[in-house]
This record gives sequence, C-alpha cells and structure tokens, in this order.
Amino acid sequence: MTELSLRLAVSFAQILAEMSIVMITVATMTYFERKVLGWMQDRMGPMEVGPYGLLQPVADGIKLFFKEDIVPAGANRAMFALAPMLTMVVSMIGFAVIPFGPNMTLDIFGLTIKPFVVADINIGVLYILAIASIGAYGIILGGWASNSKYSLLGGLRAAAQVISYELNVGLALVGVLLLAGTLSLVEITEAQAGGFWHWFIWGGRPDGFFPIHTQIFAFVVFIISAVAETNRIPFDLPEAESELVAGFFTEYSGMRFAFFVSAEYANMTLVSCVASALFLGGWNAPYPGTIFEYVGLEQLAWVEHIVWFAAKVYFFLFLFIWIRATLPRLRYDQLMRFGWKVMLPIALANIIITSIMLYFFPRS
Amino acid sequence: MIRFSGKRHGYRNQLDNQNNKLNRPDKADLINMTFKTWIKTITFYEIFVGMKVTMSHMLHYRPVTLQYPHEKRTLPDNYRGMLALLRYDDGVEKCVGCDLCEAACPSRVIRVVSAEVPDEPTKRYAKEYYMDMTRCLFCGLCVDACPVDALGMTREFEWSVYDKRQLHLNKEQLLAIGDRSFPVREKQLELQHPNVAFFNVAFKHLPQKPS
Repeated sequence: MTELSLRLAVSFAQILAEMSIVMITVATMTYFERKVLGWMQDRMGPMEVGPYGLLQPVADGIKLFFKEDIVPAGANRAMFALAPMLTMVVSMIGFAVIPFGPNMTLDIFGLTIKPFVVADINIGVLYILAIASIGAYGIILGGWASNSKYSLLGGLRAAAQVISYELNVGLALVGVLLLAGTLSLVEITEAQAGGFWHWFIWGGRPDGFFPIHTQIFAFVVFIISAVAETNRIPFDLPEAESELVAGFFTEYSGMRFAFFVSAEYANMTLVSCVASALFLGGWNAPYPGTIFEYVGLEQLAWVEHIVWFAAKVYFFLFLFIWIRATLPRLRYDQLMRFGWKVMLPIALANIIITSIMLYFFPRS
Repeated sequence: MIRFSGKRHGYRNQLDNQNNKLNRPDKADLINMTFKTWIKTITFYEIFVGMKVTMSHMLHYRPVTLQYPHEKRTLPDNYRGMLALLRYDDGVEKCVGCDLCEAACPSRVIRVVSAEVPDEPTKRYAKEYYMDMTRCLFCGLCVDACPVDALGMTREFEWSVYDKRQLHLNKEQLLAIGDRSFPVREKQLELQHPNVAFFNVAFKHLPQKPS
C-alpha cells in the first residue's frame, strides 16, 4: 500500500513536470510564432508588453482567462463544453510516452523510476496514434455542437482531413517500426544511438555507414502528414480564417478558445517530439556518445541528451512556423488528392521497399 | 473552307516558323523539361525557393513597422490636420465674420454668428464660431475661402475622444488650437503693407487722412 501510494506520488510528480514543460513550450510557441512570422514578413511581432513583447503570452493568458464565456444560442451545451476539454486533454496525455531524455533509471525511496519518460509502455507508437485520433473528435464535436454553419463546415473538413492524413502518419511510421522491431519509443530511440548515420532518416546499419534502410521518404511523408494532422498552414482548412471565420472554434471564446489554441500548439509539439524520436534519433547526439562522457562527466550526460532532444523538437516547431510564413492554403480537393494519391502510395511503397531491404540486409 | 494562301509563304510565315520554334520545343527538349519539372516536383523545389525567401527576410531583418505611439512619422509640409482659428501678433482675432468659410464648407461643419465690433461700427467679427469636427473631411476649402487667412490647418491628428460631443468645438477652443499650433503670428494687414494706403476710419492707430 505504501509502495503503491509512493509510486502514485512519483508518477504524479512526473506528470506534473511533463505537463508544465509542455505548457511552457506552448506559451513560448505562441510568442515565438508571432515573432518569427513577423520577422519573416518584415514586421516586428508583439513589442508592447514587456521588453520586445516577452510578456505577451502572460497578457494573452490573463485576457483569455477573464473573458466572457459565451455559449451560442441553440448550441448543445454539454458537447460544446466537452469539445475543448477533450482536445486539450488528448493533446496533453500523448506526451506520456515521449522520452525527453536518456533511458536511465533512478532509485528513490526504494523505487526504480525512469525520470525522463512518464510511461515507457511497449506500445508507445500505437498509443500516440490512438490518442491523436481521439483529438479529431474534439474538433468535430466543437464544430458540430456550436450550432453555426462555419463551425460545422470546419468540423466536417477536420474529420475528412484528419482521417485521411492519420492513415499516412501511421503508414509512414511502419518503416521505422520494421527497423526498430519494437513499438516502444524509448527502445526505438535507443536503436538509433551512435551517430547521425544510425538515425532512421539515414538508416545505416549498426555495422555500416551506407544508408541502406533509409526512411527519408517516410520522414517527408510523416512531416507533411503531421502538418496536415495538426491543422496547420498550408493544411489549415478546418480553421481557414479567410473562408470560415475561424472554422471549428468560431463560436468559442475565453478559456475554451484558449484550450483549442493551446491544444493546437501542444499537438505540434507532440508530432515534433515523435518525428525527432522516430526519425532523428531522439535524445541521441549526431556524434557517437556525448561530450560530457569524453571529458569524464558521465553523470551529466543526460543534460546533453535533453539539449539535443529539445534542439530537434524546436527545429521542427520552427519548421512549422517557417512553412506557415511561406505557403498559402491548399484547396480542399488538392488536399485530398495529395493525401490519397501522393502520400499514401509513397508510404506504402516505402513499407514494401523497407521490408525487402530488411529481408536481404537484416540489421543484425 | 478557303484559307488565306498568303499565309503559307512570305514574311508572315517565316515569323510564324520562328515563333513556333521558340514556343514549341522539340521532343528531346520536351523530355528534358518534363524530367526537370518532375524532379522539381518531387524535391519540392518551388516550396524550398519560397522558404528561402522568407528565411532571407528573417535574416535580413528590416521591419517596416513604425512603433506608432512611441515614434511618429514626419508629416508632409502640406499636411491637412486639425482646423484652427488664428490671431494677429497683437492678439486680435483675424476672423471678420464674413461667413465665407461656412459657405465653402461641403460638409456644413462651420457655423458662424457674425456681429459688429462694439464701438467700431465699420468692423465685424465672429461673435460665435462653431465647428462640428465629426463631420469635417479636412478638404481645406474653408482655409482657401477665408479672405483674411483667419483659418489654418495644423499638423495635429490625434483627436480621438471617448465622447464625440467633445469634437463640437467653439471659438475659444479653436483659437486655443491655433495659439498652440501657430506660435508665430502675422502682423495686422495694414502693418504688413506699409506702402499701401488704408483709408478707413476703422484703423485708428494709422495716421488719419488729412482733412
């Protein structure tokens, strides 16, 4: 009993830490996105609140917290309230299986815990795919329950889009799963240790440098599908502000709106984490081992690992913003054609070719 | 169907041939082109070119933003801002109450109540002078219409108010705007032109016509 409660307490502390990291990332991203977009468009971005607008996320949070919470007439109140919560929760719990740091264990109070991953379950990738699909329900419910034509159109678009691109995400990951032979994100990342040529985007065998099992096509498919799945420009049809006001969250205000927005950023962070863990070696540095090990500070190697993981994740987050600053929105039929006629065949061909290559050149 | 036979030969035809050669590539070119475009498509070449542009704008950061309340742009010399009533350098109002500004105004902003100057029956002045600035479109016709240059356009433009009745200005307010915007005042007309004879009984400070 005491062990159980201790375990619960430790897990709770881990979840709290992980959630605060994610929320800080989300707050940073709201500021960072507006800044980078401004710089790329010869503007300044937020400049008024604090030095260089640094306190803008705080001001936005306070403003949204004290805003009036409006439920439109004729809305399904229960569903309307459920949708943002569902989206938010789902975007948060996906992080449970993401390894932020190396797979080391820590002994406290007689318990053996992994400090950098909340739950190292052996079906991590499957869990993330399942959770990400539930996230679509929040969007669809929000669009449907609002009793507004714009919201409904946004929700319908989100349904079609998320389902088509979820498929590509799943198929793009299959190649990596074939290489790693496991569904646990920790083990997949560990399989890529020892230099950037072991990362699955390059796909060198453990004993060789030649990119024989390269997953670069799967990587490209995954990144594009991830952009579409998180409803980001150029695939932001569910919230197309020039056509559908704000799409599925047109009728939302105050904290519920904030939930949708922060869920979007949390989803971006989640897919960035998945992309860096599965394709770019997660916490592994692009060189074998770590610098801290070379200088004889093995205890601090985890710092370097975490820095590398964060660098990769923030690279992807920057990529999202960069793409947003560059590309216009796709038309609906273009989106569907691209998903089903281009991305899906590439992902399927990647699975077949990877399987054949693995059959003739096994990894060990 | 009869075709214009002249088109088959001659200068026109040569031109057409040349054009065709320019417009329509032969087969090898076509294959090359399609291969190139195909490569460009699968490598997302155009997207990367676009991303290069945005990145170069971020690296060469030259914002066009003007941090407005903190920094203000320099206004052009002929800027047409808030209207004001002016005075001569001795503090006398320029306005003679002639109503020409009221007549010239296309938006009926101005209302003038003219009256005689007390004890000077040959002179008139604006006893009351109202401007409804909610209607003003800053065309400057009143300034042009004024025969004595009693109206001026200042460079003030920050006149947002919470109560639009505050934009209904009376003579004192308009004079105050003129006082703060035009610190350098003109002399009285008769003093500006010393070689012009002003034969008017109203100018008591001038030497009177010998009788």
